[in-house]
Amino acid sequence: MPVTPAVRYLDYAATTPVAPEVALRMSECLSAHGEFGNPSSANHDFGIRAAGQVESARAQVAACVGAEPAEVVWTSGATEANNLAIFGIAHYYRGSGKHIVTARTEHKSVLDCCRELERRGWQVTYLTPGPEGVLEPEQIAEALLPQTVLVSVMHINNELGTIQDIAAIAAVCARSHQARLHVDAAQSVGKIRLDFASLGVDLLSLSAHKAYGPKGAGALVVCRRRAVQLAPLMHGGGQERSLRPGTIATHQVVGMGAAFALAHAESPGETERLRALRERLWQGLGALGGVWRNGDPLRSVPHILNVSFEGVEGESLVADVGVRIAVSTGSACTSAQREPSYVLRALGRDERLAESSLRFSLGRYSSSADVDAAIDAMTRSVKRLRGISGA
Amino acid sequence: MIYSESTRHYFEHPASAGAATGVDWFRGEAGSRERGIWVQFDLQVPSADRGGTVRSVRFLAFACPHVVAVCQWLAEQAIGRPADVRLPESVQAVRARFEVPLEKLGRLLIVEDAWAAAAGAAILRRNA
Repeated sequence: MPVTPAVRYLDYAATTPVAPEVALRMSECLSAHGEFGNPSSANHDFGIRAAGQVESARAQVAACVGAEPAEVVWTSGATEANNLAIFGIAHYYRGSGKHIVTARTEHKSVLDCCRELERRGWQVTYLTPGPEGVLEPEQIAEALLPQTVLVSVMHINNELGTIQDIAAIAAVCARSHQARLHVDAAQSVGKIRLDFASLGVDLLSLSAHKAYGPKGAGALVVCRRRAVQLAPLMHGGGQERSLRPGTIATHQVVGMGAAFALAHAESPGETERLRALRERLWQGLGALGGVWRNGDPLRSVPHILNVSFEGVEGESLVADVGVRIAVSTGSACTSAQREPSYVLRALGRDERLAESSLRFSLGRYSSSADVDAAIDAMTRSVKRLRGISGA
Repeated sequence: MIYSESTRHYFEHPASAGAATGVDWFRGEAGSRERGIWVQFDLQVPSADRGGTVRSVRFLAFACPHVVAVCQWLAEQAIGRPADVRLPESVQAVRARFEVPLEKLGRLLIVEDAWAAAAGAAILRRNA
């Protein structure tokens, strides 16, 4: 992957490059010779053509996740989708109850919404998954109250790669008379097959840039069959059924549609290729000794590997390997704070091990040469830093 | 985090990293691995040297790049000078030299404590 000649990119869970086919489709929507019209301008051909592109993209996204096109609401990304789902449900159904259930290991864009709702008078139950990051459906069942209006659980943990059993969680929520299930599936597309219609999920958050689409595009899938209602976050236009007003960025959603179409067509062989690369990486890192694999390898997506390294200080590890490989410590959104991963801390890892943990994530352009370079870089850094620390 | 050129240089070339023991070696340490920062200095001050001159320094650091860099710099600065519990520059000056963020000032104080413990042991022997 040609990022810079010296640095190998192993941070695909943070973001992915836009696929060349996607970039081409997007560029066709920007210039005077392309579909640059306002898709809301139904009175002339420019707008009508742009609207056609937007609806084609909506159909591509829907097909990729097993939803109906009419269920797809465009957003600026998964963070906005999460905000719309959580605040939208909380405010629309506030007369029915003010209780939400989520997990301590959710993305910040879910946890911060929940904390804000707590400040506004809602009650939130934060569940702690097991040591490998798996949330048991029974935990959800025990947390549900008569006044629970929302359960929010991520499909794939962005730091560990752990896959939650969404169908089982949905079955638990279905027994509640009013708890809607929201699933943050930002990491899922292209990694694991999603079928919104059969999962029993009410709301699904999606991101384009985790799946070789552009940053600044995402969607919230809202189940029509169960007539899920949301209060909008913004006002000022009728776009997206008034749930997300504002001129639709044609090039962005067309890019998302194209990226999801590519992901939908990706062969199962790609999953196996990534799994083999990940295991090759783990074998190489494991040879160092004093390393811990975080998460359940039997219940994880094929492209993410999270490892803690004993005897090395976290910041030094990141600084040392950062000149050779691009990886993440904790989630990208919290890395600047230099705090140990709250996900690993929630799962019981001690502070030092959580600090010296790295997430390696592979993708479409990863090769065995990238993996071997990462093993070499990590081996050199860990041995060097253990030497400096006397470990 | 962005590191200064000096920090990057000393962090990447910690020639004095390691430990040493022997009759003319004096050890001091501060901090703890459990708390996320631990530093140890070993100073070689030959007993034959009346002036108490530092001949060699070794250090170990379970610490961030800033602290590792400061330890290496200290090790280089001390050689050929009389053992002194004070750093060659104030902690604030060292902080400025390596562009250490203010929130890491406490880590530099741990370096200073470890240095003072090692140098103090050497001075104690000299004065005995």
